[in-house]
Amino acid sequence: MSSPVTYVGVRHHSPACARYVQQVIRALRPAWVLVEGPSDVNDQIDGLLADHQLPIAVFSSFTSDDGVVRSWAPLCEYSPEWVALRTGRQVRAQLRFIDLPAWHRALHGRENRYSDADTRYARALDTLSRELSIDTPDALWDHLFEIAEPHDLGQRLDTYFDLLRGDAEADEHDTAREEYMAQWVAAAVARDDGPVVVVTGGFHRAALVRLAGQGGEACWPTVPPAPTDVHGNRATSYLVPYSFRRLDAFTGYQSGMPSPAYYQDVWDVGAQVAADRLVERVASRLRGARQQVSTANLVAARTTTAGLAMLRGHQVPTRGDVLDALASTLVTEALDVPLPWASRGTLRAGTDPVVVEMVAALSGDRVGRLAPGTTLPALVGAAVGAWRDQGLDTVGPVKLELRCDIARSRVCHQARVLGVPRFTWCSGPLLGSDPSAETLDEVWDVDGPLVGGEPAQDVLVALIEAGTYGHDLLAAATAALEERLGQTAPATVLVDAVLIGAQSLTGSLLTRLGACVGHLTNVAETGQMLAVALMLWRYGDQYGVRDSAALEALVDQTAGRLVWLVEGVRGGPGPADPQRLAAVVALRDATRLRTANAPLRAEVVASMGRLANDRAVPPDLRGAGLGVLVSLGEHSTDPVTTLRAMAGPTTAGDWLAGLFAVARDDVADLLLDELDHVLAGYDPHQFLTALPALRGAFAYLPPRERARIAEQLMAVRGLVGSGRAFLRLHTDPAQAAAGAELEERVGRVLVDAGLWEPR
Amino acid sequence: MVDDAGPVDTSSLTPADELQRPPAEVRFADELRRLRQDDTDPVPPGWALSLTAARRFVMGDAKAGVSPKFVGDTALVERALVTLATQRGLLLIGEPGTAKSLLSELLAAAVSGDSTLTIQGGAATTEDQIKYSWNYALLVAEGPSRRALVPAPMLRGMSEGKTVRFEEITRCPLEVQDGVLSLLSERAVAIPELGAPDAMTFARQGFAVIATANTRDRGVNEMSAALKRRFSFETVFPIADPVVELDLVERESTRLLERSGVTRPVPRDLLEVLVTTFRELRTGTTSRGESLDSMSTVLSTAEAVSVAHAVGLRGWYLRQGASDGVDFVECLAGTAAKDNPDDMARLRRYFDHHGRRSGPAWRSVYAARHRLG
Repeated sequence: MSSPVTYVGVRHHSPACARYVQQVIRALRPAWVLVEGPSDVNDQIDGLLADHQLPIAVFSSFTSDDGVVRSWAPLCEYSPEWVALRTGRQVRAQLRFIDLPAWHRALHGRENRYSDADTRYARALDTLSRELSIDTPDALWDHLFEIAEPHDLGQRLDTYFDLLRGDAEADEHDTAREEYMAQWVAAAVARDDGPVVVVTGGFHRAALVRLAGQGGEACWPTVPPAPTDVHGNRATSYLVPYSFRRLDAFTGYQSGMPSPAYYQDVWDVGAQVAADRLVERVASRLRGARQQVSTANLVAARTTTAGLAMLRGHQVPTRGDVLDALASTLVTEALDVPLPWASRGTLRAGTDPVVVEMVAALSGDRVGRLAPGTTLPALVGAAVGAWRDQGLDTVGPVKLELRCDIARSRVCHQARVLGVPRFTWCSGPLLGSDPSAETLDEVWDVDGPLVGGEPAQDVLVALIEAGTYGHDLLAAATAALEERLGQTAPATVLVDAVLIGAQSLTGSLLTRLGACVGHLTNVAETGQMLAVALMLWRYGDQYGVRDSAALEALVDQTAGRLVWLVEGVRGGPGPADPQRLAAVVALRDATRLRTANAPLRAEVVASMGRLANDRAVPPDLRGAGLGVLVSLGEHSTDPVTTLRAMAGPTTAGDWLAGLFAVARDDVADLLLDELDHVLAGYDPHQFLTALPALRGAFAYLPPRERARIAEQLMAVRGLVGSGRAFLRLHTDPAQAAAGAELEERVGRVLVDAGLWEPR
Repeated sequence: MVDDAGPVDTSSLTPADELQRPPAEVRFADELRRLRQDDTDPVPPGWALSLTAARRFVMGDAKAGVSPKFVGDTALVERALVTLATQRGLLLIGEPGTAKSLLSELLAAAVSGDSTLTIQGGAATTEDQIKYSWNYALLVAEGPSRRALVPAPMLRGMSEGKTVRFEEITRCPLEVQDGVLSLLSERAVAIPELGAPDAMTFARQGFAVIATANTRDRGVNEMSAALKRRFSFETVFPIADPVVELDLVERESTRLLERSGVTRPVPRDLLEVLVTTFRELRTGTTSRGESLDSMSTVLSTAEAVSVAHAVGLRGWYLRQGASDGVDFVECLAGTAAKDNPDDMARLRRYFDHHGRRSGPAWRSVYAARHRLG
């Protein structure tokens, strides 16, 4: 005889499911409660149930061939999994997590263990939503379960999940997980201790019921062993504090139950009070932000909430009813982007500030805290080990020679990126410096991060905080950099990524850098990114990134983006912009060096050709466009002819600046005669107009080159002397200009008096 | 007497098929009748249908044989209906071509069974066209009287308890907009020329105002804060789902082409290029997630339908064949970019950099891109 099994399919982070799980466990008083969760933490369940302030998460981080893998299993007070564990403990049931650990390949690519399978349900959900005239799966879920009568909830949940599963395809990863979970269930049943309750995501329920019919072995399945990285560190899972902000789907959490503060209220006090509180919370938040919310607005919001609930057939208003009512009464401008709850995904840029406040009020700012005595995150031990190994447990300046001390440098940079105190960078190559330079020394000021072999108090605090990023310094620093993308210039992130360690240049950081590049809109910033990526790809020997395929792809992508941006610059004559000219130089270099990328060359040539000939483009960029063509040997027009077209005093200097910035070696001599001719044709006023830009243009030539040109010009005029001396101006320019003006006035007086005739 | 006018008798109108564009209550008279018959839910005072029936009328109900008419969020329509039922003004705002006027017409037809009480806002709109004016012959002959009064939509809407549509409200001068303010808050029109008891007309149950405004007019005649407060703002967005938009463009352009005597619809892959181009330039993001500059010209679904129509006509009448990339580029230049050289440059740049995609339709468009000038 075997024990009866009750399978409860849940939606993760659903208060209704949590309540149902509680009810089932209290009623059945099972011997075993089996919960979907990482089976490698089964020996830590007592620690998990300690007096923590939720939300917390079971966090696993390890280094695999694909780079750093991070996985969370977040738990809040209304998580069905958490409630199953707590209630199971109350009724003295044995508790087990029964899912594969995060390092099993079935969970690869899944940062959040409890991310819902909604994408796979899409078709069934669409049909169901259409049938019920509801726009989104979240609204559908609230309509069907969160505010519905609880009497036959279990049956309705089963029907719902069976219907969805019937329409969706389970992939091999799901199958592997389900087979593993079924083994745990079979083992618990075979022990014959009493009833068994199995709490899993609704998607897996039907499969587990089906697999139960096939029997299984009586012994517990083994936990797949944790992988070790190249340093011999074994992957582990441990508890970390979590926050409502991270739980919220609107800020990027993929689990699908948004608005944690609201659902916490639903769990604590029920849907009706939660709806009332929601209005109050939004109103006080908006008033705090000095937005006007009148009593009349609130009355209208209540009326509209009631009206919407009635129209939608709700006894109690749902989250959507309240939000819709608030939007309908409080928003008094046209929206630039749709209301965030009308679709899934993160909050989009341009969301109305009132709506942003509303979403924030629903999200809440609760942050979890671990009970005292909880095992410290793995990062703490890893950091202490790394510092000790690298001899960084010291006080005073540490001088590193990068050619041989690269490992120590990386550890210091990892600490810097993670904001760990007591590591201060003093000097060394950073963004913008040339990594091929002779001096590759770095100096750090290290102020005793370890005291008696243990981290100093301020260091410990920083490490615990950073523990949510990864299990060792490299993994954590990589993750921290990833999070910084979007707020910091991508070039800075790229350089930091290289400085903390080359292998981090794979995987998601690079993908996200690439995505960031696709959103750059500033020519100068994109040019800087391209220059940095190109330099690291070409010269980054000592960082081990020279010729890296990942960097190569990034160079191509950035160059592609830069072509697009440069061609979008429009404007009449204006001062040459050195930053955008530097960007074109980077583009030229990328095109020259990436010989394998023929489409890039074709695109650059076509685009620069259009740029050089477009009257709507500022003169410096037209010059730079021609410069790229010349330096690539692809120009069809003669620069001398183009100079004639650009010879006006307001355009010549800027056009030349662009040309010289990109291709001075190829064109300076070629243009000299014609330029001399053009300048000789200017009247004094025109010359003064053109002068500042011309000076700027010639600044792109090195002094020796300028001296040589000066000598050539002197020779044309039959003069002999040192070009260098000729270029050195001994008088104040203002005085020289005043002298020239006086001379011109005297000339006019002489002409008027018939005493002189200008040639 | 105006007050005696009952619901509009649609049978007295010209048969629907003789009209170029009959109003919604005539086009969908049969559906409205059936919805009214089967309506068991509570009907707000002065309304022709319950809120649920009105929602089904607008969004469609396949089981009851009610056609879907507005492609968009159900929640938006629900909010709009509740706004009207709670006696607040409804302002539908959005880019041109997002079916705001259609939605306002459908809502009016559903709520009041009549969508014809319409004020068309513009620079020349005066209070006469909103409230009332006089038949001057009678005015001179008889003095101010009910008989000499010519009611405008607002007065009629109030006295008959019906929905009044105010199209393009932000195109009206501010003083005219402010004239609406008292109507919305007092829910009464004063006609001081008539003595008591006719000097005031109070709004009957069912009176509601649906205004529409165009975001492109933002800042031209900015609404006063007081008037904004009396309206619930509902922003109508372009269709979110690319497949739904493509289907709509295909359906509508094929219908228009048939009416123009063209039996060969535009190939779907070319329409896909059209819809993708419009969507990417409208949102300023490519499908690969790169950002673009968006166009100043409106790239609405309605505009896409009109370009598709033109593309189909061009292919058919110039070559008696299927339309291709050349037709597409020519029509896009004329219709979408209008005569704006900056937009033309943006379009050209878009195809130069992002037009090289797989598939014959994309290739033919890419090859023809130089026609953008």
